[in-house]
Amino acid sequence: MSDASLSDAGAASPPLAATRPARLRLGPLAPWLLALPPVAFMLAFYALPVLGMLSRAVLDPGWTLVHFQALGDDPVFQRVLWNTLYLAVLVTLGTLLLGYPVALLLVRARRMAPLILLLILLPFWTSVLVRSYAWMVLLGRHGLVNEAMLALGLLDRPLRILNTPLATQIAMIHILLPYMILPIANTLRQIDHSLLRAAAGLGASPWSTFRQVVLPLSLPGVAAGTLLVFVLSLGFYITPALVGGPRDTTLSMLISQQVDQLNWAYAACLSAVLLATALVIIGVFAKICGLGGGAFRMSAR
Amino acid sequence: MTVPKDRARVQLPPTTTIGRRAALGLAAGLAAPFLLPGRAEAQAALPDVTNVPDILKGRGEVRVATFGGTMQETQRLAYFEPFERLCGIQVRDVSGSDSGKVRAMVETKNVEWDLCQLSRGTVLNLQKRGDYFEPVDYDIVDGGVESQYRFEYGLEMLVWAQVMAYRTDAFKGAVPVGWKDFWDTRKFGGERALGGHTSGQTPELEFALLAAGVPADKIYPINVDTAFASYDKIKSEVVKWWDTGALPVQMLTDREVTMTSVWNGRMAALQAAGVPAAISWSQGLLKRDCWAVPKGARNAANAMKFIAFSTMAVPQARVSLQIPYGFVNSKSVEYVPAERLAILPSAPEIKSQLVPYDYGWWVDNRDAVLARFNRWLLT
Repeated sequence: MSDASLSDAGAASPPLAATRPARLRLGPLAPWLLALPPVAFMLAFYALPVLGMLSRAVLDPGWTLVHFQALGDDPVFQRVLWNTLYLAVLVTLGTLLLGYPVALLLVRARRMAPLILLLILLPFWTSVLVRSYAWMVLLGRHGLVNEAMLALGLLDRPLRILNTPLATQIAMIHILLPYMILPIANTLRQIDHSLLRAAAGLGASPWSTFRQVVLPLSLPGVAAGTLLVFVLSLGFYITPALVGGPRDTTLSMLISQQVDQLNWAYAACLSAVLLATALVIIGVFAKICGLGGGAFRMSAR
Repeated sequence: MTVPKDRARVQLPPTTTIGRRAALGLAAGLAAPFLLPGRAEAQAALPDVTNVPDILKGRGEVRVATFGGTMQETQRLAYFEPFERLCGIQVRDVSGSDSGKVRAMVETKNVEWDLCQLSRGTVLNLQKRGDYFEPVDYDIVDGGVESQYRFEYGLEMLVWAQVMAYRTDAFKGAVPVGWKDFWDTRKFGGERALGGHTSGQTPELEFALLAAGVPADKIYPINVDTAFASYDKIKSEVVKWWDTGALPVQMLTDREVTMTSVWNGRMAALQAAGVPAAISWSQGLLKRDCWAVPKGARNAANAMKFIAFSTMAVPQARVSLQIPYGFVNSKSVEYVPAERLAILPSAPEIKSQLVPYDYGWWVDNRDAVLARFNRWLLT
């Protein structure tokens, strides 16, 4: 904590500025003071509007739960919720399976590490929309993938990949991969090398070193990545709309439809469900991994 | 983390975000390069607005929300520039016109737009729920604007068609005509795309009825059961229920589908790019966009002047000369060459093949139909 930031925090709050000579005793308060502006910002510009939006779900026309009750026997909602959760689980598994080895490679590689990082980050910095369109070009009936497989004689006629759930899954896994790789790489990097040498010295094979040392120690990163990817994929809109099949409506697509049709109470209900789902997932992770102690403290270690 | 919440609907790959339902935006990214050799040249080729009635002159500004894209560029050339020059009112145009935003603005009394591009259906739907728009000042509107385009809370200013389009290289020279052929996947093979029910669109129940043999003049009031029964027959062949005008033309270009419904303006760009595709005007739907003034708009008087100006003969012609969409002022005919007139949806021999979209029926039935469409598609 630099002096500059401390005195900034003091200046922002007159009573504290008055007790400046005693600023060392305010040490424990400083983080809270520093957190005050962003917290106030989030309250004013995020929490309040979200609450206002959610209140539509129960206040239209007067206090009522009828909109939520209606969801219970709405087959469209059930199908869309299932679509969304299934997609999020699949995409999370896909990014984990593909991302973990890349994270390992990123940490182990020395000279190539900047290049690998660049390859991960370049697409990350590209708009989701552009990448979704790129997948349309790649996966199309006459796209690169099909043409290549036809040319190699692997296929007799083009496969239908674009406009199917598979296309959505492929594109979303690609788009969300960095969110899985980076937290895992972060925990892997912090594993003490002497532990690995000790394991090897005690006769462990590389595989059992990985299984018994590296993997358990990297779990906080896995948890963080899984949480990020899962929660982000719950809200996907453009990608399923562009490359997905005709029946692959996700919750955020349904919300957008309902806003468009001015059914704002219904849209607010759906948003509440989406938000609650995300919160439950975060809560579960907090319970299992310990949010403060595990997943999110990795970089502080 | 800016990734997935993005809600943009219509975007063409490398260029700008086009606002929602950029009917026009469409022609946008694609058409502009082909239709407009250059801004200066295009301007030179357009008829000039030479004088305006004094009553349209004023000062200050008018904030106009459009559907964005290149259509906004077209509108700038056609309307905004001459209006600023001749009427002395500055135009501040933004993209992203949307009924939800109008509702929010009016309800919070924080109206940021003086004028917006919408459809008659959208305006009537919103007006059904409360008082969201100012009545149009028809005292200053040009007499050449036909009565069919006028309604209390808006004035239509752009005529377009939702039509069938197909790959000319897909059927060995056979030419599909009408929706019966579109539904006939044996005679005309290949997959299909049809318009969906999002982004302010209504599902194309009219096409389903025409495919089932209902005569064009008996479509409205729509028999919804018959329409969905007809939809059942094509459902498995439809790979996409598109919600943005960019998609169907993209899918035709990429040979993902052999036939689809499209907005006619987008096809000009496709054909100019050399894609072997054609429009079948027969049994298309004739639709319109309109101007409407949100209730409580600060510059409502200027907005009324702009509405009157943009529907005068010359400004209307200036749009049709840039993008193949029709005009609402009968006097615009004098400013559009015959060969251009012949490809507009308002051309008599084309218009007679089209079915006028019944905004009134859809205002009464949209919510029920959209809910049923969702059920039909998803469960």
